[in-house]
Amino acid sequence: MEAPVKVIEKKATFKRSKKRTVNWTPWVFVTPHLVIFSLFFLVPILYGIYISFTSWDLVGKPDFVGLANYKEILWQKDSSFYTQFHNGLKNTFIFVLLSVPSCIIIPLLLASALNAKPRFHKLFQSIFYMPTLFSISAVVIIWTLMFNVNQGPINNLLGKSILWTGSQPYAWATLVIVTVWWGIGGNMIIYQAALNGIPKDYYEAADVDGANAIQKFFKITLPSIRGQILYTVVITTIAQFNVYGQPLMLTAGGPTDSTRVLLMDIQQNAFGSGQSIAGIASAMAFILGLCIMVVSLIQFLFLRNRD
Amino acid sequence: MKNKLLSFPKLVAFLFLLLMAIIWVVPLIWGLVTSFKGDMEFKTIGFKFLPVEWVTTNYTSLLVDNDSTPLLHWFFNSLIISVVHTLLVLIVVSMAAFAYGRLHFKGRNALFLFLMATMMFPGVVNLIPLYKIVDSLGWVNTYWAAIVPGAAGVFNIFLVRQFMVNIPIEFDEAARIDGAGDFQIFFRVVLPLLRPILMVVALFSFTGSWNDFLWPSIVFNDIEKMPITSGLQLLQGMYTAQPTLLMAGALIAIVPTFILYLFAQKYFLQSMSLSAGVKG
Repeated sequence: MEAPVKVIEKKATFKRSKKRTVNWTPWVFVTPHLVIFSLFFLVPILYGIYISFTSWDLVGKPDFVGLANYKEILWQKDSSFYTQFHNGLKNTFIFVLLSVPSCIIIPLLLASALNAKPRFHKLFQSIFYMPTLFSISAVVIIWTLMFNVNQGPINNLLGKSILWTGSQPYAWATLVIVTVWWGIGGNMIIYQAALNGIPKDYYEAADVDGANAIQKFFKITLPSIRGQILYTVVITTIAQFNVYGQPLMLTAGGPTDSTRVLLMDIQQNAFGSGQSIAGIASAMAFILGLCIMVVSLIQFLFLRNRD
Repeated sequence: MKNKLLSFPKLVAFLFLLLMAIIWVVPLIWGLVTSFKGDMEFKTIGFKFLPVEWVTTNYTSLLVDNDSTPLLHWFFNSLIISVVHTLLVLIVVSMAAFAYGRLHFKGRNALFLFLMATMMFPGVVNLIPLYKIVDSLGWVNTYWAAIVPGAAGVFNIFLVRQFMVNIPIEFDEAARIDGAGDFQIFFRVVLPLLRPILMVVALFSFTGSWNDFLWPSIVFNDIEKMPITSGLQLLQGMYTAQPTLLMAGALIAIVPTFILYLFAQKYFLQSMSLSAGVKG
């Protein structure tokens, strides 16, 4: 942050002597954001990386411990943080693998159906988008009762008494269902706009060649909206890696920690009751962040290279 | 004959959408009717979709000001936080976007590229130090903790700057010839034309702030000060045994964004394609 500003100052004074006075107004416009950005984003990120190499209780001074936190959570099998971290990261990945495909395919199907402009398509569109605007705590409260063992409509409709949030594989199923219900609106709108932009003659030409609906979907539709698919896959994956509210409030990480995700451990270690273990939590956060970046990059390269 | 063939895909699409719409709407309707059921009725009578007797006790007992779960208080906390946060974002973002998009200064492009690059950094890494910074500012358990840090985002600046590209630079030049300075151009020329995109930024800032969950749960532990999302989590912990009451609380919490959606649906639906179009 510092360096470019200084360079500018030097050049500016140099110019001033030669030509006219420097206009400082642009800096008046960017400074409010730059201050907030530096204080609440840039500094915390850098500090967070540093903290992961220390032992810290959030109160006193951080003690530099080198790679000890990383060694402990990655390799020290007898440490409880090792178990926590491996379990949390594994569950986070399971959730991403389960939820991302659903959050891409279902809105794509909805958008394709909406694009046929059947009756009431505007109303349908509003309905599917709406839950996006609700807070996750409200959404979870509503769905907890939907999945209630005895009083819930789902078990009563199925005529079963499934322990949805308290047994596997149902716990994962409930988390994915709630996530899809809550969060596909944005992707759906993006696909709708993309589908609208495909020229009609492509399909007409395919009709002349006798292509069927499935061929048209894979040969025309999908390639035409690849840009938007790439974008949504990346942002959806990032969002799902940060999953927190659903497992916290719906399954409480259970049954027996099988849906306990890494962000819950990070939150608990840093801010939970008892002494804060912010160094370990930061190391966990850094690895989670690294996973997010690496996965985004792989997706980007993979979906790009097919051109 | 041809007409029938044409309408077949539409029919399939319609039936599929209808089925999905039912799945989407049922939880909300079930939630709404359940919030009007009595606690005893819900627990003793077997499964019934509609209440046998419609009661409003769930709402009244929540809305009456009580100290352990002051729902109305949480509601207004959220309202203040979301409104002020939105105003702050609008000011900060429009100013910065104007400078990066319209003004010329040394290092502008490098700085803007740097900001864009930081969007790749995952936010989880900054969570713990961010708490420390907010704490050392004395902001824990104050509205500021939920209002200010969220305004650090870069994406909105990108969005507004992209939108500004479509405003002819000749407008600025004409104003400049008439003797207008940068501030006058910003307020009189550019800002009014940015209204559609600022509307989008405002709606998403408001709903984002209203629905934020993880961060408020970290910076608020004072029951009086917390926003409604954290409040609901607390409520869930206290009233696990009273689902009808919880349901009333959840429904109260979604009222503002629901109303906003009814009135500004057009903007919400346009905006998504706007932001994706810029990126895609």
